Amino acid sequence: MMTMANFPPPDGSTKPHEHRDDAARPASGVEQSDLELVRRVQRGERGAFDLLVLRYQHKVVKLVARLLRDPTEAEDVAQESFVKAYRALGSFRGDSAFYTWLYRIAVNTARNTMASRQRRPLDYEADLSESEQSVVESRMRHGDTPEAAVLSDEIHSTVNSAIEALPEDLRTAIILREVEGLSYEEIAEAMECPVGTVRSRIFRAREAIDRSLKPLLD
Amino acid sequence: MTDQIREQMSALLDGELPQGEVGLLVRRMARDAELKRAFGNYVLAGESLRAPGAVVASQGFAARVSAAIDAGELPGMVATPVPAPAPVRWRRPLAATAVAASAALAAVLLVRPDSGDDQLFAERSGAPATPPVVTLPVGGSSPTPAQNQRLAGYLVTHGQYATPIGRRNVWSSALATDPSIAPRATYETVEVP
Amino acid sequence: MRRGFAAATLALVALATSQAHAGSPTAGEWLQRMTESLASLNYDGLFTHTAGRQSETMRIVHRVEDGRSLERLVSLDGSGREIVRTPGEIHFYMPDRRVVLVEPRSDEGSLLKALPAPGPRLEELYSLEVSKGNRLLGRDVRVLDVRPRDAYRYGYRLWLDEKTAMPLRSEVLNVEGKAVEAIHFTKLETFERIDPRELEPAVDASGYQWVRASKRAEQRVVVSGWRPSKIPPGFRLVATRTQIVPGLPVPVQHLIFSDGFASVSVFIEPGMAKGPAPPESTSVGSANAFSTQVRGYVVTAVGEVPAATVRDIATSLAPVDEAVAPVAPAPDPKNR
Repeated sequence: MMTMANFPPPDGSTKPHEHRDDAARPASGVEQSDLELVRRVQRGERGAFDLLVLRYQHKVVKLVARLLRDPTEAEDVAQESFVKAYRALGSFRGDSAFYTWLYRIAVNTARNTMASRQRRPLDYEADLSESEQSVVESRMRHGDTPEAAVLSDEIHSTVNSAIEALPEDLRTAIILREVEGLSYEEIAEAMECPVGTVRSRIFRAREAIDRSLKPLLD
Repeated sequence: MTDQIREQMSALLDGELPQGEVGLLVRRMARDAELKRAFGNYVLAGESLRAPGAVVASQGFAARVSAAIDAGELPGMVATPVPAPAPVRWRRPLAATAVAASAALAAVLLVRPDSGDDQLFAERSGAPATPPVVTLPVGGSSPTPAQNQRLAGYLVTHGQYATPIGRRNVWSSALATDPSIAPRATYETVEVP
Repeated sequence: MRRGFAAATLALVALATSQAHAGSPTAGEWLQRMTESLASLNYDGLFTHTAGRQSETMRIVHRVEDGRSLERLVSLDGSGREIVRTPGEIHFYMPDRRVVLVEPRSDEGSLLKALPAPGPRLEELYSLEVSKGNRLLGRDVRVLDVRPRDAYRYGYRLWLDEKTAMPLRSEVLNVEGKAVEAIHFTKLETFERIDPRELEPAVDASGYQWVRASKRAEQRVVVSGWRPSKIPPGFRLVATRTQIVPGLPVPVQHLIFSDGFASVSVFIEPGMAKGPAPPESTSVGSANAFSTQVRGYVVTAVGEVPAATVRDIATSLAPVDEAVAPVAPAPDPKNR
């Protein structure tokens, strides 16, 4: 008697990978943190969802802007994706990373928006979402960017200047964390200092960047 | 003191905050717009480092999402009023054989589709009436959540009585579509021979 | 459809044997096989559900146990909703509302025999055609076209796996031949056995509001005094029942009409004291619903038929001694 073969969970089969957040690594602190926040939302803490939005807002807007090829609608569609995710959160079980699940919803929402606009039947190809996703992933890897808004350029140069102005240990710490994706433990090893120092250095780097960004964005 | 909280936020962003400290921090941040703003800039710093010049969410995006969740709406949805339906001209109804119908009613409640039990519906062939032109309005309004739930229940119940493929279609649609945001039925003018 | 796996296998063997002979199965026979396969095989699949301009990935798991269908339908990248059909009940999980609707199963006993099934009179109402199709999912395919002879019903195009008669793709078509709903499988496997755990919901519904319709009412059979006077030809009343809806003091009456392929439910409930509600129509994929007030009752017609059909059925509802007979089928069938 043949029992059912291991049916691959569809929402875990294709994972998006951000530059340097390698999907092959074991569940990171961020994924655990996301799961904790999700559990809180499921228990009724709305505030925890706001944090998830803050954490992934740029990623989702960026993703949607690429799929839509028209950045003007990107924020509306991104907003819709987050709202859908909030409503569907009861069914998220942590079989995949939260962002993987959110990513799927955003791709689906963007695809439906494009379909409504184009007024022709959707392409029924079996692997549409996979092929879309690989296009997006390859763009991310090669650093392809759409036309940057003036504001994005200003943000970049402000952040850049702030980083350049940092003392070296703060700059190293934040770059190892944000660009190389290392954990506090790994950074502590690399910089030969205690984990608490790593945490403090990254925090101070961020504070300095925040002070530069604040007048720009208010 | 505030520095300590902000440092916790920084650690939370990296997934390095001990689980026991998360709850209090989340509640603090929920009450404090300045903390949320700073957290947003921490996130932005990382995004900018990784992908300089890429599209980012504008200021206030997260607040708009929060407001949309509170409002219970998805963007772009507009309630439109239901215009009064135009009268439907069906074929002229034929005379009823109501007596036979009510007699059959009292007895059999389950009628096999092909039992030939035509007492419930007497059919009379006759000259074709003028083809009915059915003209119906477009547009609609959003039902209340209670009505949605009622409809959801009806879809589930109805599905039990459909063919297997009908059931699968009806139930899949019930999963996909939130009646409150489903497009209202669009009616067309239909010439029926 | 009380068939064990053995019976289903026999049916498939018969199908294969009949194909081997000179006469291939007719379109009607393909439809019959498809209906039987859907009800009697164990399968697990992923599909894209498209209605209007929206599209979503879903999973369906179907398991037969003691001659009864158990199944689970779940939305994977949309609402997260699920419908799970357990031995005794149907659960509709709505994580977006934190609600679970619970309905008792009604397909037991004698009701089952009266349920819509494609029969010999079907071809008076629909034209059926089968042809060879392009391969799908690596399998040989027959395309079955079910075209209604009038505009009161929907048509279907079904891409059937030649071996199992399972629909790998299905589309519901309106009078213009446009798809109002499509289900395209990206994976579909049949199994000798399916682990019951695959039918457990992914939703943790412990904090949810559970809304239950009572099972008690199922035993009572009540004469319904209502009939629609305008109903398309070929639709017959196949069952009436009542159900208790939580929050309503009086049971809701439920009439089921079918033409052998499509079915329409009419629900009749007491009107709200607050006053008349405006008529409402909703499209949910290929299912349309219309709700209106008739003599103080709220009448809702729901079915896999075009919007105009449910509207006419609902608005024409009247006490049975006043209902007039429906019209005869048109002498000039509409050909498409």
